[in-house]
Amino acid sequence: MLATSTVVAYGLATGFERSARAADLADVIADFNPQPLSKIAPRVDALPDLAAVSFRLQLTNVRLVAPGHFAGDGVVEVLGPGRRGYAILSGHDLSRPGEVLVEQGLASSWGLRLGSTLTIGARQLRVVGITETPDNVAYPLATPRVYITRATYDVPFRDPNGPLALPPLCRPGASPEATFGLRRRPPLSAIRRLCRNLEARLRHPQSGFGPEAGGDPEVNEVELWARNPSGLNSLLVQARESAYGIEDLSFVTRAGVRVLVDQAAGIVIALLVSLSVVALLTAAVMLAASARADVQRRLMAIGVRRAVGATRGRVAALGAVEAALVAAPAATLGVLAGLLVASGPSSSLLDLLNERPAGSALALPLAGCWLVAVAIPVALSAWPAWRAGARAPSALLRGGELRGGARSQRGFAGLFGLGGRLVLARRTRLLATLAMLGTSAAFILLMLALASELTTLENDPSALGQRYQLLATLPASDAGRVAALPGVAAAAPRYELTAADSFSLGETIDVIAYPSDPTKFEDPPLVSGSWLHGPHQAVVGVGLAQVLGLSRGATLALALPSGTEARFQVVGTVNALEHDGRVAYTPAAALVAADPSAPEQIAVRLDPGARTAVVSGELAGIGAAASPTATVTSKGQTLVGALTAILRAVAVVDGLVCLYTLVQALALVAVERRETIAVLRACGAGRAAVQQLLAGAAIVVVVPAVVVGVALERLVLGPSMSHIAEGYATLPLGASAEIIEVVVLGLLALAGGAVLWVSRQAAREPITAGLPT
Amino acid sequence: MLDGVTLEVEGGELVAVLGRSGSGKSTLLHLVGGLDRADAGSIEIVGQSLECADDRALARIRLRSVGFVFQSFALVEELSGEDNVLLPTRLPGAPSGGRRRGKRLIDELGVRSVAHRAPHELSGGEQQRFAIARALVNDPALVLADEPTGNLDTTSAAEVLGLLRTLTARDCAVVVVTHEHDTAVAADRVLYLVDGQLESRPSPA
Repeated sequence: MLATSTVVAYGLATGFERSARAADLADVIADFNPQPLSKIAPRVDALPDLAAVSFRLQLTNVRLVAPGHFAGDGVVEVLGPGRRGYAILSGHDLSRPGEVLVEQGLASSWGLRLGSTLTIGARQLRVVGITETPDNVAYPLATPRVYITRATYDVPFRDPNGPLALPPLCRPGASPEATFGLRRRPPLSAIRRLCRNLEARLRHPQSGFGPEAGGDPEVNEVELWARNPSGLNSLLVQARESAYGIEDLSFVTRAGVRVLVDQAAGIVIALLVSLSVVALLTAAVMLAASARADVQRRLMAIGVRRAVGATRGRVAALGAVEAALVAAPAATLGVLAGLLVASGPSSSLLDLLNERPAGSALALPLAGCWLVAVAIPVALSAWPAWRAGARAPSALLRGGELRGGARSQRGFAGLFGLGGRLVLARRTRLLATLAMLGTSAAFILLMLALASELTTLENDPSALGQRYQLLATLPASDAGRVAALPGVAAAAPRYELTAADSFSLGETIDVIAYPSDPTKFEDPPLVSGSWLHGPHQAVVGVGLAQVLGLSRGATLALALPSGTEARFQVVGTVNALEHDGRVAYTPAAALVAADPSAPEQIAVRLDPGARTAVVSGELAGIGAAASPTATVTSKGQTLVGALTAILRAVAVVDGLVCLYTLVQALALVAVERRETIAVLRACGAGRAAVQQLLAGAAIVVVVPAVVVGVALERLVLGPSMSHIAEGYATLPLGASAEIIEVVVLGLLALAGGAVLWVSRQAAREPITAGLPT
Repeated sequence: MLDGVTLEVEGGELVAVLGRSGSGKSTLLHLVGGLDRADAGSIEIVGQSLECADDRALARIRLRSVGFVFQSFALVEELSGEDNVLLPTRLPGAPSGGRRRGKRLIDELGVRSVAHRAPHELSGGEQQRFAIARALVNDPALVLADEPTGNLDTTSAAEVLGLLRTLTARDCAVVVVTHEHDTAVAADRVLYLVDGQLESRPSPA
C-alpha cells in the first residue's frame, strides 16, 4: 500500500516540475490579439531580466485530419526562432518546411507515428516528432495541438480550392465519411464547430490557416524565460505596462499552471496519503502485538541469554536482527508488488496530464518506503525484547503464556463463541484492529463507489440526464413519423446551437431547446428553482451560472449565430457535465423565432427493451441518419478509464491491507493462545474445530468493521467527496447496496481465507509444543 | 528417548510411571495419548491402532477414548469452570450426552458451588477437579495424567489422587506419570522409567 501510494502520489506531486524542466517550459506565456511582430518585439526587448523570448502565432479551430480521424478544433502553434518550451519524446525537432510535431496525446489517440501524414487545413505534413508540453493537459482532454515552423506556414497553398474554400461536408447531402474518408462519424458538435469556423474565416480571412501578406509576420503569443524566476512579479508588472494598447492580453505563469495541476492532483494525493497512513498504522499495531507475543513466547530463551551474560542491548539487538531478516525480503516483495500494481494506471494518468512518469526518480522514494517497511518491524521487535531484558533472568526462565485478567462470561456458545471471546480479551488491540479494518473498508467502498460512478458516466446516458437514446437528422416536422416507428416511445424536435453571452462575448453557451417539456428527453439534476413553464424562460447549467453570476430571476442575454439577441429569464439551475455545465435550456418557440436557422434534429426515446440498432434501421428506412447519444464527452473517456483503473487498483491494494490485518489478528490469537489451542487439540479437536474457533474470532472483527466502514463511507467520506465535486456534478458517492454487498462478501471471503491459512499453520504445529510444561 | 517400551493397561487399573526429570515420562504419555507419533512400534487404545491413523482419526481417538489431565490444569481463562468441563462436548464429533455427563461430574466432584467462576478465581485443587471433570466428560477408556499433583498442596494432592483412584471404578484405565513417590502409593502398579526402558517394581505401599 505504501509503495502503491508513493508511486501515484510522487508521480502526481512531481510530474509537473519534471515535465516542465524537461520541456524548458517558459516562465510566462502571454496571449493577445494578433499583432505584427514589429509592434511586439521592441516592447518585449525592453523588458528587464529576460533570459530568452520566443514569438508564436497560435491558430485555433484548425481542421486536422489523419486516416480515420478528424478534429475541427485543432491548435497549430507556428513557431518563430528561439527556445521551444516543449520536450521531444521521439523523433527530432522541426528543421525544414513540410514537417510537423504532434503532441503525445494526439499521437497516441490517433495512432500517429514518425513519418505519418497529418493534414492541416488543406496541406499534408509529415510527422517528424512527438512532443510533450506540460502547460496544458493532453488530447483528448484538451484540444489537439501541433507545431510547425514559420517556413511551413509561409509556403503558398497549392490546393486549387484554396484554404478557405467551404468543404463539401457543409454542402447539402454530403456525409462526413465521404468528405474525410472516416471510419466512424465525427460528433455532430465537431462538424458544427468546423462549419462555424470556416464561415468565420470567410468573413475574416486573416484568422484562418495560411500565410499573411507582407514581410512582417503576425504573432499572438510570446513565451518569456526570466533570468531570475523569483523576480517574476516585477517582470509581469513591466510587461503589463509595456502592453498598453494590445487587446485581449492574458498572462499565464509557470507557477500558475502548477497551482492548477496541484489542485487537481491534491485530492488524489491526500486520499492516497490517508490510505498509506491507515496501512502503516495497521501494520504497526499488528507488528507490535506480534512482536510482543513472540518475545513472550521466547522469554525462556531470553532468560538463558541473560543468564549466560548477554546484556539488554544484545538481547534487543538480536531481536532487531531477527526481525530485519524477515522484514527485508518481505519489504522488497511489497515494494515491488506496489510498484507493479500502480505504475501502469499512474503512467496513463500522467500521460493525460502531459506529465512524465517518475521513472528512475522513484528509486529514492521507494527506497524510503523499503526503509520504513523494515524499520517499523525492527523497532517494534527490539523494543519488547529490550523491555523483557530488564526482568530478572530467573523470572524469564519461568517463561509462560500471555495471560490476561479475563473474566468468565455466561452463555458459552461453543468454539465459535470461544473464538470471539479470545479476541475480546484484548480489547485495546480489538479496537485498533476494528479502526484499521473499518477505515480500510470505508476507503474500499469509496473507491468502488467512485469507480462505479465514473463507469456510469461513461456508459449510461441517463447519468447525464439524457433520457433519449438516438438523434435523427430529420426536419422537425417529421417528429410524428418518427414517433410512430416501432420501438420508439417518444420523439420530439431538438434544437441545439452555440451562442455567446451578450455581455461577455468570450463565453460560449450550448443552447438546447424543445417545443414542449424538455425533461421528457433531458433531465439533468435540478439544483435550484424549477424547470421551464413559460415562453421566455431558461434553465442554465451550474457551470454557466457560476461563470456569469446568474441566479434565479436573472436575465440571460444570448447573442445568437444569426446576429440577433434573445433574452430569457433564468428560472432554475441544473447539474450538467457537458461543456463544463455552460448549457442553457430554453423553449423552442422563442429560440426559433430569434434564430430561424437554428439546427434541428429529432430526439428519439426508445421503448424499454427496444434495441438501438433496430430503431436506427427503422430510421434509415425513412431516410434519417441516426446517431446514438453521447455519454461522457469523448474528451473525458480516456481520463475516466485511467481514473477508474487507479481507483480499482487502490481498492485491490486496500483489500490486501484488509487481508493482512485479518491474518495478523488471527495469527496473534493463535500465537498468544497456543496453549489453549494445544489443549483443545489434546481434547480431540481437529483442524475443523480450530477453524471454528478462528472463524468466531474473525467474525467478531469483521462484522463491526463492516458496520464502521459503511457508516464512515456513508456519513463522512462519501459526503466529503460529493461536496468537493458538487461544483461539477451531483455525484451520489454513498456506496450502493450492490457495492456494500460486494465489499461485505469480499471481506468475509478474505476472513475465510485468513481463517484457513492461520488454522493450517496452527494445525501444523505439534500439539506437544503448545502444551503447558 | 524411549527404547523397547511395552506397556499394557487394563480397564479399571491405575498405573503410575515414575522416573527422574527428563527420563521421558511425558514423552511416553504423549505417545500413548496420540499427541506425538512414535518412530517405531505400535500403540493401541481399545483396539484402535494409532500408528495407522491419520491426523483426523487421531483427533477422533483422543476425543472419544482419551482424557488428559495436566500439571498446570490448562483451563481456558475466558471460560468458567463449568464451561471448561463442557468444552470437549462442543467439539465436532463428540459423543452425545456429554453435557448431562459434565453436569453430573461437577456435582460428583463437589465443585458445583464454584462452577460459574473463572479459573483464576478458583483454588488449585478446584481447578484440578474441573480439569479432571473435563478429561472424563466424553467418557474415555483411558485417562492420562501428567504430574497431576505437582502444583497442589498436600491436602489437595491427596484429594486429587483419591479422585483418580475412583475413576478405576468406572472401568477406566488411568496412567499417571510423576516423580513423586507419594503419588505412586495410590497406584495398582508402579513402573519406573530408567534409561528409556520401563521397569516393573512392587508398589511402594
